Amino acid sequence: MASTAKTTTSTYSARKKGSSDKTKRVLLKAFLYLVLILGAIVALMPFYWMISTSLMSLGETINRKWLPEVPQFVNYVNAWNEADFAKYFFNSVIITAVTLLGIMTTSTLAGYAFARIKFWGRNVIFAILLSTLMIPESITLLPNLLLVRGSIIPLPGGSWMNTLQGLTVPFMANAFSIFLLRQFFAQIPNELWDAARIDGAGHFRFLMQIVLPISKAPIMTVLLFGFTGSWNAFAWPLLVTTRDTWRPLMVGLWTFVSEAGPETHLLMAGAVISLLPILVMYFLTQKQFTEGIATTGLKG
Amino acid sequence: MATIGLKKKPRSRSQFLRELKENITAYLFISPAVLVIAIFGLFPIGYSIYMSLFKWRVQKGDFIGLENYSDIIGDWFGLLIFLGGLVLLGLAFWVWNNAFRSMNNGALVAKLIAAVLLVAVGLTLSLGWEKMTTAGEDVFLNSLIITLFYALGSVPIQLILALILAYILFQNIRGKEIFRMIYFLPYVTPIVSTAVVFRTIFSPRETSLANILIGKIGIEPLKWLFEPKPVTELMFGWENLNSFLAGPSLALVTIILFGVWSFVGYNTVIFLAGLGGISKEIYEAAEIDGASTWGLFRHVTIPLLSPITFYLFLISFIGTFKAFNHIYVMKVPNAQKTVITASVQVFQTFYTENNFSVAAAEAIILFLIILGLTYAQNKLLGDRVFYG
Repeated sequence: MASTAKTTTSTYSARKKGSSDKTKRVLLKAFLYLVLILGAIVALMPFYWMISTSLMSLGETINRKWLPEVPQFVNYVNAWNEADFAKYFFNSVIITAVTLLGIMTTSTLAGYAFARIKFWGRNVIFAILLSTLMIPESITLLPNLLLVRGSIIPLPGGSWMNTLQGLTVPFMANAFSIFLLRQFFAQIPNELWDAARIDGAGHFRFLMQIVLPISKAPIMTVLLFGFTGSWNAFAWPLLVTTRDTWRPLMVGLWTFVSEAGPETHLLMAGAVISLLPILVMYFLTQKQFTEGIATTGLKG
Repeated sequence: MATIGLKKKPRSRSQFLRELKENITAYLFISPAVLVIAIFGLFPIGYSIYMSLFKWRVQKGDFIGLENYSDIIGDWFGLLIFLGGLVLLGLAFWVWNNAFRSMNNGALVAKLIAAVLLVAVGLTLSLGWEKMTTAGEDVFLNSLIITLFYALGSVPIQLILALILAYILFQNIRGKEIFRMIYFLPYVTPIVSTAVVFRTIFSPRETSLANILIGKIGIEPLKWLFEPKPVTELMFGWENLNSFLAGPSLALVTIILFGVWSFVGYNTVIFLAGLGGISKEIYEAAEIDGASTWGLFRHVTIPLLSPITFYLFLISFIGTFKAFNHIYVMKVPNAQKTVITASVQVFQTFYTENNFSVAAAEAIILFLIILGLTYAQNKLLGDRVFYG
């Protein structure tokens, strides 16, 4: 009863003070936008700083200006050629491509088997694989380093330090991708499998010709996560690349920080180069990327 | 399997062969993934435990049992007291929420008892910890405190900001998609690249962006990432507090700022998804009952979002114990030990000090802490949260 009384008075007062309510609402809205814009400025400020610094001359970076007088695009050329970012860039491209190929192969095959074939120990093996998601990298780094050096068991081709396989093989499978694909593969109707079997197809042909073509969305998610994970990898390549033969961009950037000293403009140009591929990918697949994260709730 | 039948037929030979074939196919399919994960994901845990039981600096030495752990922890009895404090904390938590509900004024009594318990928690925790630090490995134990500072400094702020942004975005805001994309940008960009940028923004130079900005409101240039002094000392001039009470150094606060900057967008996106999941009817019903905008937010949105808030809190908290890359990139020698979190300390123990067995033992301890947190997450998520 009290609430009905309250409602009537509030509607009454709302009608009476209609116009002042409206200005109040406009003010509130303006305030909300102000908060949002402030947030956006904070989010973008470092990017502005990075790009503007990357286009300055050395003098301008020291006597701080907000914008370069004449944009020095030559900085990018210098970073690319002299600071070796070209080499690091192509290393990163190859490492990422090979890792992605590995992830795709292992996780589609395993995801399919866990989703659609019954076999002995299926649930146990799957649970063990999933448990690896909890393991922090800091515990695996040292044993893996010794493994890759060949000091625990002899490896094919000797030590894998400073090699492509040393940088890629440990990341060629992960429980997350398998889990994601398994969830999707399990929903594929059995009728499709029955039809394929009548046509004489086995599991492998069914996977390649029917399952994969209709699984573009989850495969895309796996690729996106694999791409960012591999491109952004830092601790492992820092350990494994003692020479710059296969050094990827992130490690190259880090060694530039510790060695280059005051050449901030080149460093910032290098930083721009290092995040460009990820940004391009993000803008191209923005919706899928954001939704992929919102639905899987994965923290990188 | 695929055979349809009401009664279980006896297995024929051909059926057995077919099953065998299915099994072989399945094992062939999973073998590449299982091999890689077993070797590079599971084996390291066993091997870390093995290494931690030896004297091992680059070359394997003598078997020394748990000595590495004793050296780190210092005083097992202290650890026991500390763990007892944690159990008490859980008890206080339970009393606060559940005990004496049937009694008159039961809730009040429960809260009083819980308060007394909390004092006891504080005493046992600090007593146990002190016993450990006096005898144990200072550097690693200290790195755990640094990690705690980092977690408590970054996670709550991160979540509050994200909730505010998400809630505003959820109103009818024009350009919602663009704002969401902008907030998400710091999270997507490679963390090493942005950490490098933050290193120059927060450099101690007078012309660094951070110093220009604080100069505008009349503050003298600070040393930021190069400053090992705690913030409390810089702000209030409190000196000689013990390391825990003094709080994080300015260098660590700068790293916390980076953490907040880079993860707010992620939390915003998850909160937005959660807000989208609350049905409009609940809001309409509350509005009819005369709830104000604030009332709606306080009594409808927050409780209904609690599962997500809690999930994000624990995930982020655990994440700070795993965090490595940006802290490693942003740490400078001048900041001394004040920015070395546990995972960075593990890395340095084997990478720069070459002390493999101690690093392995430290990693195992860190892993146990993370496991404990994950266990607490599952336990607490079960009964603490309101499911709408």
